[in-house]
Amino acid sequence: MLGLNSLSKLFRKTIGPRIEALGLLPHRYYLHRALDALEEDDIDEAVRMVTLAGNDKKDARWRLVCQQVIFRCRVLASQHQKQLDRFETEIEIFGKPSKLNNTYLRLQKAEESARDILRSYELSLFNQLNVSKHDSVTAE
Amino acid sequence: MAEQRNLSISGGLTGALVGLAAELALEEITGMEIVNGLLAVIGAGFGLIRIDRRIYEGTVNLLKRVPVEPNSDYRDVLEQIDEMSLELPELRESFVKLVQAGIEAQKA
Repeated sequence: MLGLNSLSKLFRKTIGPRIEALGLLPHRYYLHRALDALEEDDIDEAVRMVTLAGNDKKDARWRLVCQQVIFRCRVLASQHQKQLDRFETEIEIFGKPSKLNNTYLRLQKAEESARDILRSYELSLFNQLNVSKHDSVTAE
Repeated sequence: MAEQRNLSISGGLTGALVGLAAELALEEITGMEIVNGLLAVIGAGFGLIRIDRRIYEGTVNLLKRVPVEPNSDYRDVLEQIDEMSLELPELRESFVKLVQAGIEAQKA
């Protein structure tokens, strides 16, 4: 048991990530990893895992996990958008304070870039979902 | 005649100590955390087998983590969920089932 575990650990530390990146591991493994990443709000990893699991895009489990990640992207992007709106309202009401100007601009840029990254993830997954939908319509 | 079993406490303790020493030695030599690795493998195994359960838990967590503004009521939250799940038919269906299950549970 100890030897088996050591071997599996060695595998995970050496060639595991490479094989994982090739998409050769079982479909469920990637879904499991995607759900783990989603739980930790590691959207980048979740998107990567969902993409790797997407060999069979008609699979109901894949579609549901993919939609879960899209939903989370939308929720997080809307939070960043709300934060941006708050900044704009504050600047409109109080004007641009010269000392804080740079800080405001930096925060605004960070929020904008976070929102855009999330939207690009959403778009990428949405395209994958639509490809699967298109495939099933063509098959019919 | 029933076989009598002799349990040795000192033997058990020695075994445990030897096991611990072996694990520490392996960890030192290979740099791998054996027990953690073992738990990770077991956890991943269960995760693979129980993927449907995990997907269900993921859906519930997703709903729990929808941010709620202090002044908003349940209609606002429902509207927000509705907006966020546009063009996600399977997820929407899961949400509806969860809400229905909640209503049924309240009735019961």
